[in-house]
Amino acid sequence: MRPVRSFTKTADKVFTMVTGLCASSPIVFLVVIALMVLVQAIPTLRLMGWKFITQTEWNFGSLYGTMQHIHGVMVPAGATYGALVFIVGTLASSVIAIVIAVPISILTAVILAYQVRGRLQLSLSILVELLAGIPSVIFGLWGMVVLAPWMQHSLGPLLIHIGTVIPYFKGPVGTGMGLLTSGIVLALMIVPIITATTRDLLQQVPTLYREGGLGVGMTTWEVVRLICLPYVKDGMVGAVALGWGRAMGETMAVLMVSGNATNHLPQNIYSPTATMASTIASKLDSALGDASKMGVHALAELALLLMVLTLFTNLLARWLVSRTGRGRRMRVKVSA
Amino acid sequence: MKDSRRRSRKVQTYIWWGVAWLATALVLFGLIDMVGSILVKGVTSFRFSMLVTLPHGFGGGLRNAILGTFELVIISIVFSAPLGILGGIYVSEFASHRVANGIRFLTEVLSGVPSIVIGYFGYLLMVLQWGWGFSPLAAGIALTIMMLPYILRNTDSSLTQVPLAQREGAWALGMTRFQAVSRVIWRPATNGILTGVLLAVAIGMGETAPLLYTAGWSTLDPKLSLLHQPIGYLTYVIWTYIDMPYDESHALAYSAAFLLVLVVLLIQVVLRLLVNRRAFGRN
Amino acid sequence: MSKMTKWMVGASAATVLVTVVGCGTANNASGNNSASGSNNTTSGSSQKVTLAETGSSLLYPLFNGEWIDAYKSVAPNVTMTAASTGSGQGQSDALAGNVQIGGSDAYYPDAIMSQHPEMLNIPMAISAQQVMYYLPTLSASTHLKLSADVLAKIYEGKITKWNDPAIQALNSGVKLPSLSITPVVRSDSSGDTFLFSSFLSAADSTFQPNTQESWPSVQAEVGAQGNDGVVSTMTKNKGSIGYVGISWLDQGTQAGLGYAALKNKDGNFVLPTSQDIQAAATNMPSTIPADERVSLIDMPGKDSYPIINFEYALVNSKQANSATATALKNFLNWAISPTGGNQSQYLNPVHFQPLPSNLEAASQAQISKIQG
Repeated sequence: MRPVRSFTKTADKVFTMVTGLCASSPIVFLVVIALMVLVQAIPTLRLMGWKFITQTEWNFGSLYGTMQHIHGVMVPAGATYGALVFIVGTLASSVIAIVIAVPISILTAVILAYQVRGRLQLSLSILVELLAGIPSVIFGLWGMVVLAPWMQHSLGPLLIHIGTVIPYFKGPVGTGMGLLTSGIVLALMIVPIITATTRDLLQQVPTLYREGGLGVGMTTWEVVRLICLPYVKDGMVGAVALGWGRAMGETMAVLMVSGNATNHLPQNIYSPTATMASTIASKLDSALGDASKMGVHALAELALLLMVLTLFTNLLARWLVSRTGRGRRMRVKVSA
Repeated sequence: MKDSRRRSRKVQTYIWWGVAWLATALVLFGLIDMVGSILVKGVTSFRFSMLVTLPHGFGGGLRNAILGTFELVIISIVFSAPLGILGGIYVSEFASHRVANGIRFLTEVLSGVPSIVIGYFGYLLMVLQWGWGFSPLAAGIALTIMMLPYILRNTDSSLTQVPLAQREGAWALGMTRFQAVSRVIWRPATNGILTGVLLAVAIGMGETAPLLYTAGWSTLDPKLSLLHQPIGYLTYVIWTYIDMPYDESHALAYSAAFLLVLVVLLIQVVLRLLVNRRAFGRN
Repeated sequence: MSKMTKWMVGASAATVLVTVVGCGTANNASGNNSASGSNNTTSGSSQKVTLAETGSSLLYPLFNGEWIDAYKSVAPNVTMTAASTGSGQGQSDALAGNVQIGGSDAYYPDAIMSQHPEMLNIPMAISAQQVMYYLPTLSASTHLKLSADVLAKIYEGKITKWNDPAIQALNSGVKLPSLSITPVVRSDSSGDTFLFSSFLSAADSTFQPNTQESWPSVQAEVGAQGNDGVVSTMTKNKGSIGYVGISWLDQGTQAGLGYAALKNKDGNFVLPTSQDIQAAATNMPSTIPADERVSLIDMPGKDSYPIINFEYALVNSKQANSATATALKNFLNWAISPTGGNQSQYLNPVHFQPLPSNLEAASQAQISKIQG
């Protein structure tokens, strides 16, 4: 037998090291991003404390006035940073998106898993997943050009009739750009995530269980409702949480249809709103005009808050999915 | 009595299945409406001259944006493909169980970071602190951070699916781990790795938020310098020009959207076909 | 060759090929072979230079629509780009060195000037701002009379309908509809916001002059990006009101928007015609500071239009190299010259007024401070 050349052995060691370094790159990136955002957020943390989360007013201050010295940091006169409007906007628009998307996704997944087969199933599944690949700015474009006018002229006036029962639906429809429109656009974005995952999970329900249900006299729908859906409950909740995380972090689509409100909380479902992500995108140029740089730090704290929130949601999702033990079979690429 | 209950259950079943079909139709309608309206508006606005002219006045062409997107995607693939593929190899082949799970977990965390946060971080660190200004390199690195998790995860999962028997065979022949990977194990995983890279390219082309404050905007063709040079990209055209009250600006925005949707959809369809090639063949 | 090697060679060859082809087309088409600002060998005017401008959407139609094309024939070796990103972005990009010229309707605040004394605020022309509204029931020749006081109340949410007594009192004889008012504001950092808030602050101290105003909470208020965004948003919403730069006046009126006659310091209601803007300009303070940072809001005079301003080119006096500095100086001198950029053929389409002759010397003094 030929002895292994030392060159081959060193090549092996070098290869292992190089790939190890590459594998650690996501960790490096993650740590650097988290640290950078945290460090940049500290001045605002010192200035605002908890009021950052509870205050409605976001004011960059009188940029053309004099600076003040508060809590050990320099800020423009009158500057105060409260992110409550954006937090409410983020949560409200993603909750609306979930409320719209989850029933629709589950129903679609049921159809895709049980009612169609073969080529048709594959083609329809591909069509639904195509939605996941469309860039968010295209969603925003469609929302701005098609959905908002439709909301303003057709859907809004229709929904106002419900306003007699539910107070949130009352009130002027406004420009069509607002909470409900953002919610619909976000819903369309997260439908493919939830649908694809739920469909995969539903296909793994053992046929024996379903046949058993039919055997005791259940109708096909009752089999789905009483046997299949409870079986995939955990994984489904995980997919929903994943979709929620995606909805909260979405920037461009919301920026284009939300109406960019500041300093007031949404009164009804049509009010213009703003999310944390869209605010960071739209207010950075204002922050840069602040000589004390406090605006930049305030946006960094907003980014920190957003990151923590989405992180928490993603962790929750992962934990829920892994509990079923079938999480491994989840198709990796869908969680885009 | 039993009869009426059975009937009501039957009616309920029909109703629910109807509602389910309605939901599916709604989703498909949403997709078709969106893609359709973009395609229709795009086809009417698009001129082939837009591919080769620069933006001029309030309308013009898309050449700078196309070349810019191209350059940014190439820069980010150059960084993220080796990092992702080699990282995926490490996680599936060399790492211990705990380390592998840890890296997978943290990669998933990274992919959950909102794209605007990555863009803001890129602005703070590379554009401001390191003084690069708006630059293709800063934008490329921001895109790399977004693409990396997908390539790494796909490489990792496709390598994991290679049967153990093949590895054992390679080891039995006396190959070192490097030789085993480079000569035997990567072949069946080609599909998956390619999927990951294609997916990353599609994502990179469609991203806006990470590029807003790292790439800036330029109406000129990208030059060779990697620093201190703002660069244009397709998604910016869509976002900005649709807001202007001029028809030619809208035409430019729709054309950019049209191009983007065409290319991204093409990549996505190729992707799904690649993944489902076996399934398609079987049926 | 093993398959993997073949793949890698093929991929790298493809990448190289594509890059070369791409750069080749780029070079051929733009005719520019050097990265901007990296060539220090010659400082002659045949040096190819790129000057980038970004910022004010009020300046954009003049800069991009008129000046860039005209300057091509004056100095063909200089390539200019412009972008409409808002005055705030223009201020910060010029500060950070991302562009050579920051276009802004608002000069730098004191705080920034004390941190960055090398920045220059160079007025290039006089522009103005008008208040526009979308009320299709009014004829185009009717111009509502509005005052800073009424506008402040609208933007605070105290006046919510068009037929409010306060508005009716100023406009007797005009049939005002009972539509709700949708105030439109700029969501980006904007020089127009600075002008409008300066105008409002005279009547109501809730408003401070600011490029990014923290607008009071008003139920129906909508934010838009850029002057173009404001015009687009207004045309989609009946009953909307917004502040728009004068270079977008024609776009607005063609889309059906009307514009208001504003109450000036002397108490008269004045329209933004070029005579009335000129009247305000002639009444500006006789002593302008050397750094030319001055607000022209509410100038005295019975015909003076209240919201006028200088359009500033914000420039760093220390440029990257001498070629860029020379090109920049030449361009700015051309722009402020009455035989160059300040000719009526360029300014009239955007309703700007030329720089007063007594300011030319001051502007030229600032321009000469630019070094490379």
